Amino acid sequence: MKLDCKHIWRELSNYLDGEIPTDLRRDIEAHVAQCRHCAALLDSTHNLIVLIADERRFELPVGFSARLRKRLERELATSRPD
Amino acid sequence: MPDLLADRKNREFALIDRILSGHHESFYELISPYQRRVFMTAYDILQVEADAEEVAQETFLKAFRSLRSFRREAQFSTWLLRITVNEARMRLRKRREISLDSLSPNHEETDYTPILLADWREIPAEALLREETRRLLRESIAALPDNYREILTLRDVNGLSTADAAEILGLSQGNAKVRLLRARIMLRDLFVERLRSRTKQRLSGEATP
Repeated sequence: MKLDCKHIWRELSNYLDGEIPTDLRRDIEAHVAQCRHCAALLDSTHNLIVLIADERRFELPVGFSARLRKRLERELATSRPD
Repeated sequence: MPDLLADRKNREFALIDRILSGHHESFYELISPYQRRVFMTAYDILQVEADAEEVAQETFLKAFRSLRSFRREAQFSTWLLRITVNEARMRLRKRREISLDSLSPNHEETDYTPILLADWREIPAEALLREETRRLLRESIAALPDNYREILTLRDVNGLSTADAAEILGLSQGNAKVRLLRARIMLRDLFVERLRSRTKQRLSGEATP
């Protein structure tokens, strides 16, 4: 099937997540090979997703665990889970 | 590795049994792998470190208090993040006193046109490595509407599956996918805008020393 750009935008996320049927993937790749706008859209969004995943390295604030423990201590000593 | 996952699940269920039978100190062990994830999820929704820390504390307190209601067909982490999102939303609501979902449902269903197509600029991979670029990215994430930031945080920052993210947010998988798509494209648009204006600023700065 021949796809237009709107189809590509709609399927962008599923395509990048690999959650897409094989024939649709093939159609998208055929379109992208011809269309530099869609190629750039796919590339840039993919790059961004990779970069966002990197934000996972974000550290906890200093003393976070100690403060959490302090807050939990009294609760754990005095009450019971429902 | 599915076996590792199953191992962790069994270990967590055993810990939960211990806690429910009165060994409350095991709760620390249960939650310790999730401190960062809970904090980050709260932070990405609230964008204020102190608020995120308080919400994280509230989340763990609430998880302890309602541990008995945790149904074991779900993963503990999914359950915990659902509490986190709810607590963060409540905090947000208090802070802003506005309704949570600023989007009407039909916003999610229809076509979307990425901006800047007429004047296209790709985001080159090497640009993404710079510290400044990371700052622009964080600004762009902060500028997203709340419901977009939520799904993006769960799916792309925390690396959850779309199914888990949907469950945490109380969405159908279909709606979660549509929302994720729109969140990613909007983030890209926001980011490209910032990148371009930054580049322009730098160029004009160089032109007039």
